[in-house]
Amino acid sequence: MFSVKTVALSSTQSFSDDIPATHRKHQAELDAMDLDEDEFGAGPSKRNIVTPGEVITSSKEYMRGHGTYVEEVNVVSSVTGTIERVNKLISVKPVRSKYVPEVGDLVIGRIVEVGPQRWRVDANGRQDAVLMLSSVNLPGGVQRRKIESDALKMREFLAEGDLLVAEVQAFFGDGAMSLHTRSLKYGKLRNGQLLSVPPQLIRRLKSHFHHIPPPCGPTGVDVILGLNGYVWVSNGTSQEKREGGEGFDSEGVYSDKNDDIPPEGRQAISTITNLIKLLAQEGIPLTDTLIEDSFNWVNQNQLPPGPLAPNETERMLAEVVGVDITA
Amino acid sequence: MSSSRIEILNDGGLRHDARRPYELRSTSFQLNTHPTAEGSSTVTQGLTTVQVSIFGPREPRQRSQASHDKAIISVEVGVVPWAQGGGGVKRVRGDKRLQEIGASIRQTFEPVIMTHLYPRSEITINVQVLSADGGILPTSINATTLALISSGISILDYTTSISIGLYLKQPLLDLSHVEEQDLPNLVIASLPNSGKITLAQMETRLHVDRFEEMLSLGVEACQVLKTEMEDVVKSQTEKIVERMGVRSVVSSGMAVDE
Amino acid sequence: MVREIDPPSIQKDFLLAALAEGKRLDGRIPLQQRKIEFIFGEELGNVECRLGKTAVLAQVSASIVKPREDRPYEGFLMINSEIGPMASSVYENGRSSDSEVLITRLLEKSIRRTEAIDREALCILAGEKVWQLRLTLHFLSDSGNLLDCASMASMIALKHFRKPDVEVIGDEVIIHSPEERAPVPLAIHHTPLCLTFAYFENLPPILDPTHLEATLCEGTLTVTMNAQREICVLSKAGGTPLAAEDIMGVVRVGVDRVREMVKIMDDALEKDRENRVVEVR
Repeated sequence: MFSVKTVALSSTQSFSDDIPATHRKHQAELDAMDLDEDEFGAGPSKRNIVTPGEVITSSKEYMRGHGTYVEEVNVVSSVTGTIERVNKLISVKPVRSKYVPEVGDLVIGRIVEVGPQRWRVDANGRQDAVLMLSSVNLPGGVQRRKIESDALKMREFLAEGDLLVAEVQAFFGDGAMSLHTRSLKYGKLRNGQLLSVPPQLIRRLKSHFHHIPPPCGPTGVDVILGLNGYVWVSNGTSQEKREGGEGFDSEGVYSDKNDDIPPEGRQAISTITNLIKLLAQEGIPLTDTLIEDSFNWVNQNQLPPGPLAPNETERMLAEVVGVDITA
Repeated sequence: MSSSRIEILNDGGLRHDARRPYELRSTSFQLNTHPTAEGSSTVTQGLTTVQVSIFGPREPRQRSQASHDKAIISVEVGVVPWAQGGGGVKRVRGDKRLQEIGASIRQTFEPVIMTHLYPRSEITINVQVLSADGGILPTSINATTLALISSGISILDYTTSISIGLYLKQPLLDLSHVEEQDLPNLVIASLPNSGKITLAQMETRLHVDRFEEMLSLGVEACQVLKTEMEDVVKSQTEKIVERMGVRSVVSSGMAVDE
Repeated sequence: MVREIDPPSIQKDFLLAALAEGKRLDGRIPLQQRKIEFIFGEELGNVECRLGKTAVLAQVSASIVKPREDRPYEGFLMINSEIGPMASSVYENGRSSDSEVLITRLLEKSIRRTEAIDREALCILAGEKVWQLRLTLHFLSDSGNLLDCASMASMIALKHFRKPDVEVIGDEVIIHSPEERAPVPLAIHHTPLCLTFAYFENLPPILDPTHLEATLCEGTLTVTMNAQREICVLSKAGGTPLAAEDIMGVVRVGVDRVREMVKIMDDALEKDRENRVVEVR
């Protein structure tokens, strides 16, 4: 966490002289932008960072996008972040924000309520997500038809507090997301632990299921990076077992029992968890390669299990990520 | 009101803590001071420290309270026991004074937060006063602004707040606790870019003619506070943006360009 | 907390369209108050104040108690102002909503903290006996702007009230019944009165909002003033942001309005005094 202390501001009797004319400043910036249009979104320079209430440009020439509003003739920022421009569309991407779901996103959620034909899922969004009974695979194979008695047994499949991984299927009229688990990759989670990181640290990747192979535990460690900021770290399984191949236990998908995990496997899970927490704490975007690299670094240095000591943290971040946190 | 024996303004034109009449107390603005909240901040003005954490927008805890076209805002104010002073009345949650401060904060931010962007959800603002030496309300408002900014919730503008007192004919800015006890005390919150006032609160008798001067002075002071806050927010944001760019090259094989 | 049903949006549109033309639904002009009416009860200090259909009954009573150790010369003024379900179905007994807290807090600030009543004049025997005044407000009906009505009811009841005359001989206190000696009025420093303005976006402010106007408005500003051109309490929380001049404009309106209100009150009191037979022996 950063903390910035400002010195005492002392204004004397000539108080009004000290006040910078904010509007004049904005005008100057505006002029500069008009001269050099390509300034927008050219990279993280100071110019591209705006805070709420800051005038970005004229609304006559540009259209307002997310994170902005129009006041009189100006496009004004409503969040803190970087200006992004696509042709004539100006938007501001906030540096921190609540998870904004999109169709196709992979999310991890927790059941909060079992309702008629549906589950309510906390997926770290603005509203609770909904998982319809018709959008899940029930034990007994993909082709199984749902019957009335399934609706009565919903709590046997997923009860309050259960964790699951799902995909955003669509949105309801009120903006709530509808999830589905109609793939063998998705479903109830077990054999691991959940951690929560700021959602903006998770990028949209080709795959969000990652397997960190041994020596990270006897069977490796699986990491699921939910786009909503929930991350699942669990005991590793083989590719086939995960996706319905040889040895896939179709009856066990809704099991509540953890498998037997040897102590080494548990240690590997917590090591990976600690590393993710550490990277997230420093605001570093998470990727599979980054997690794997940092594990390898820990492994090579043969560090004892448990959280990294502060000096080891510094070294790791410097050598693996290339970030100097002492600065 | 109890009259203490301090000298509000001495012959040299200095206040009891050696400030000049228009001098603000030293300030410190910190962002993201709460580990799990969506946005949080800790603001210190003089010896008053307030931490604000913001949760949401999220599913309303009482679903019946949800509004179909905008987010509802709920504010909780608490004062830690050690900040309440020895002699005073203990303030617990639900105390009328605290409830009033909470209502003031909620009403101040309701028009500033773009609530229509977050329908059917709830934004919870938790205010915790960690040490109190006057100006709880203005410091809480300043801290809430920063917490909102750090949470990424859309707001129209910064909202900064300050207290203004009047000693004889001399307005004083940013009152400490002892000054608050003895002087007419006006609290204003304003949107610095337009100079408009969203909150004005006064509890003691004051002649109309003096009022105008205090009001415009307060608006100016709010602009100074905003500049300070903006500096902190910008430098902090730069760091975050820098970190977000880290290793994007290494994992470029995987990263989808946004 | 019971949530009130929002008024239909067509009603809102109509109200806003009328306001844009400077008209209000009950035929008032923007800065006009509803009709003020006072109904004096049998007893002294019992007054019902009506502001249009909003009604508040104020009752003052006095008793003799021991003063606080640290303030031996000061009497007490207690204000009881719980809003019950009688005023409107949104209020519940025993549970105070935000708006209710604001009303009671503002009343408390305007009457108690501005020292409208000379509390030292309530002292009978220093450190031993002082008067304790109890101002009880009954909110009879809420048709908007309870606060202004309550502040008027409180002040007129306090002005109307007479406390029994007392005589101190040595350490002994003799309380004379009204039949023996005429009761004496309270020492009142000034008459703070609340004025509530409602704001709508891009429209000039309106005084004394009705219930509907208060529900639909963007924000309200309450200013408590007295006839001496002093602002006692000012409270604007949220709502449309206003420029400093706008606030000053409202305050200037308030100065004149409060003078008029005080005059209405004094006239009503005078009239009541003529009708009332106070026997002096």
